[in-house]
Amino acid sequence: MPESETKKAYRKIIHIDMDAFYASVEQRDHPEYRGKPIAVGGSPEGRGGVVATASYEARKFGVRSAMPSKRAKELCPDLIFVRPRFDTYKAVSGQIREIFHRYTDLIEPLSLDEAYLDVTTDKQQIGSAIDIAQLIRKAIKEELQLTASAGVSINKFVAKIASDLNKPDGYAFIGPSSVEAFMEKLAVEKFHGVGRVTAEKMKKMGLFTGADLKKRTEQELIRDFGKVGSFYYKIVRGQDDREVQPHRETKSVGVEDTFGEDLQTVEEMNPELEKLAAVLQRRLEKYELKGRTITVKIKFSDFRVITRSQSLAQPTKDLTQIIQTAQKLLATALFPAGSDRPQDSATDVDPRVRLLGIYLSNFGFPPSTNKGPARSLQMELF
Amino acid sequence: MKFIVSSSALLKHLQQISGVINANTVLPILEDFLFDIQKNKLTVVATDLETVMKVELDIEAKDSGKVCIPAKILMDSLKNIPDQPLTFTIEKNFAIEITSDNGKYKVMGENPDNFPKEPVADDATEFSMSSSALVTAINKTLFSVSNDDLRPAMTGVYFELDKESLNFVATDAHRLVRYRRKEVKSSRTDSFIVPKKPLNLLKSALPDNDDELKISYNGNHLFVFHGTTQLVCRLIDARFPDYKVVIPTDNPYTMVVNRTDFQNALRRVSVFSNKSTNQVALSISGSELQLASQDVDFSFEGTERMRCQYEGEDMQIAFNAKFLIEMLNSTSSSEVKMELSTPTKAGIIKPVDQDEEEDQLMLVMPLMLNN
Repeated sequence: MPESETKKAYRKIIHIDMDAFYASVEQRDHPEYRGKPIAVGGSPEGRGGVVATASYEARKFGVRSAMPSKRAKELCPDLIFVRPRFDTYKAVSGQIREIFHRYTDLIEPLSLDEAYLDVTTDKQQIGSAIDIAQLIRKAIKEELQLTASAGVSINKFVAKIASDLNKPDGYAFIGPSSVEAFMEKLAVEKFHGVGRVTAEKMKKMGLFTGADLKKRTEQELIRDFGKVGSFYYKIVRGQDDREVQPHRETKSVGVEDTFGEDLQTVEEMNPELEKLAAVLQRRLEKYELKGRTITVKIKFSDFRVITRSQSLAQPTKDLTQIIQTAQKLLATALFPAGSDRPQDSATDVDPRVRLLGIYLSNFGFPPSTNKGPARSLQMELF
Repeated sequence: MKFIVSSSALLKHLQQISGVINANTVLPILEDFLFDIQKNKLTVVATDLETVMKVELDIEAKDSGKVCIPAKILMDSLKNIPDQPLTFTIEKNFAIEITSDNGKYKVMGENPDNFPKEPVADDATEFSMSSSALVTAINKTLFSVSNDDLRPAMTGVYFELDKESLNFVATDAHRLVRYRRKEVKSSRTDSFIVPKKPLNLLKSALPDNDDELKISYNGNHLFVFHGTTQLVCRLIDARFPDYKVVIPTDNPYTMVVNRTDFQNALRRVSVFSNKSTNQVALSISGSELQLASQDVDFSFEGTERMRCQYEGEDMQIAFNAKFLIEMLNSTSSSEVKMELSTPTKAGIIKPVDQDEEEDQLMLVMPLMLNN
């Protein structure tokens, strides 16, 4: 093997994921919750309340994030619902970030409880990404009495999957020589970005693991899955060149869901929008965002996509307001003048809805970027 | 079924419409041309579900029929075949064989019944204009169209018709262009938004001459006919922002400058500006315009002075140089007039000389220093 090949410089990426973050903070601060099933999130009485985070005791009963609180209560009748204290989580998240900064400044926070770190060159010349991951986990445990899981690998994608392998309170290392083998064994639904519906589609096509995907050419994957097919092609070969970006600005936050069966009536669609809005709102809390523009995305069974948006006077993260606006947008897009069948006036093609999504954008200026002196601002007409 | 066609004529016609086809489509049939063969006439259709383009050409054919042919491979082969008659033979299973002097080429076609139906012009309103007027209007507005999919209304050019004229308006919320054609008149007051892609396609498919275009529209679609070529596109179903209220009516200060000198100065000075804002500050006093840029992070600085005719109080105002350059580029007038009021209000740019039938107005919001 030529020398350049053997000495190819791999990056060292760590993905740190706090274990049941909100719930763990609550159990740390309230000894009475320790060892009990708790769920941080909306109460089961209110409309559209969802679980933000469930403690590991609650997860044994099948309680999961983004699950409607009512359903969680059915699964686990003794479940204690705790109102979220986002200010506290934010403060703790800041403390965690300070720990990261001891080792590297290349930190890309994904949310309050998750971040990518590039430690290819670390501040303390430790050199070993595994050692750094362990030092970080130790510091989080000793200084903050919380546990974190870590994934260490050569790119973001594999690091993120790795952090999930020995969760909670564990770590996993997938080195350069084992990345491809690891990806081959990985079940398709574990692929980040493969949702329920895509996973089903893949299984119908006989694609169960990374190895199955690897047998397909890039063209075939693009033909079957669209643009993302090219991403799958690279990723099963362990290639992911996305960099750890310390100052990534969030432009929009959204959630969408593809339905197993196409939806045709407003009665079917509105509850779906409520579910999506609840998940969206949880995400907004997590990323500390408020947005002014609400967008509804509709994909028809013929894959045609339309979006409808509305901008509000004030930035919002209010659940009711998001639901109301989204439902109004959907109604005007699909059901003009009181008809309850989708009126896809544009084509003769079948007008059934296969996907709905809600996005929030227009966040205004990022909260205090503390970067340099005066920044100039482009003024807007509208 | 069989037909004979000139290879160069076919290629020329296909090139007019092949831009509609997207590289990676979700529906494989959208990567095909639909060939509709009638007696001695071939109609070819391409679509991406939003836009449909169609051309007609003469061929030799006895029977009629339809077939879908993969676009890329057909174009690639035509580009390499010297000019000659080609014979297309289409089998029942939609296999296509092309026979040339050089040899035979085979490709699998698809069932034409699966090709999307094109929209029909129900209750359409019609008007006409010259091909060059539409091409000019597109060239003068398209660059200001927004790319923000979350504000769909601004991702196209707004057509505003009335008995007096036709206005073309484009904006991305930072700048706005209104281009008016006074000779185009409509029987009724109406408006619609045309997406970027079909306008780009029209720009390259239409000739810059006086050929008359027949244009019609209804609530959902725009139809443009030029001879045997036609384009149908879906309109953007959104409300265009009320642009009239943002056009200042009484900007008291006016500056007239040579357009090319101003544009070249902006180009040179903006090299030294901050790359994220492209900020260039204009200081105007007496008959002197000073342009200044800087990038604090890299200690870059650029300044130039030029002459101008200015009427107003001394002022300093900053703009994104890229916006100004693009705007100056969209007019051919030798001088332009800037109308200003305060450093935080929109500036207006107008060409000093323009044709009688046209009226171009451009608006740009300044950059504000946030200390």
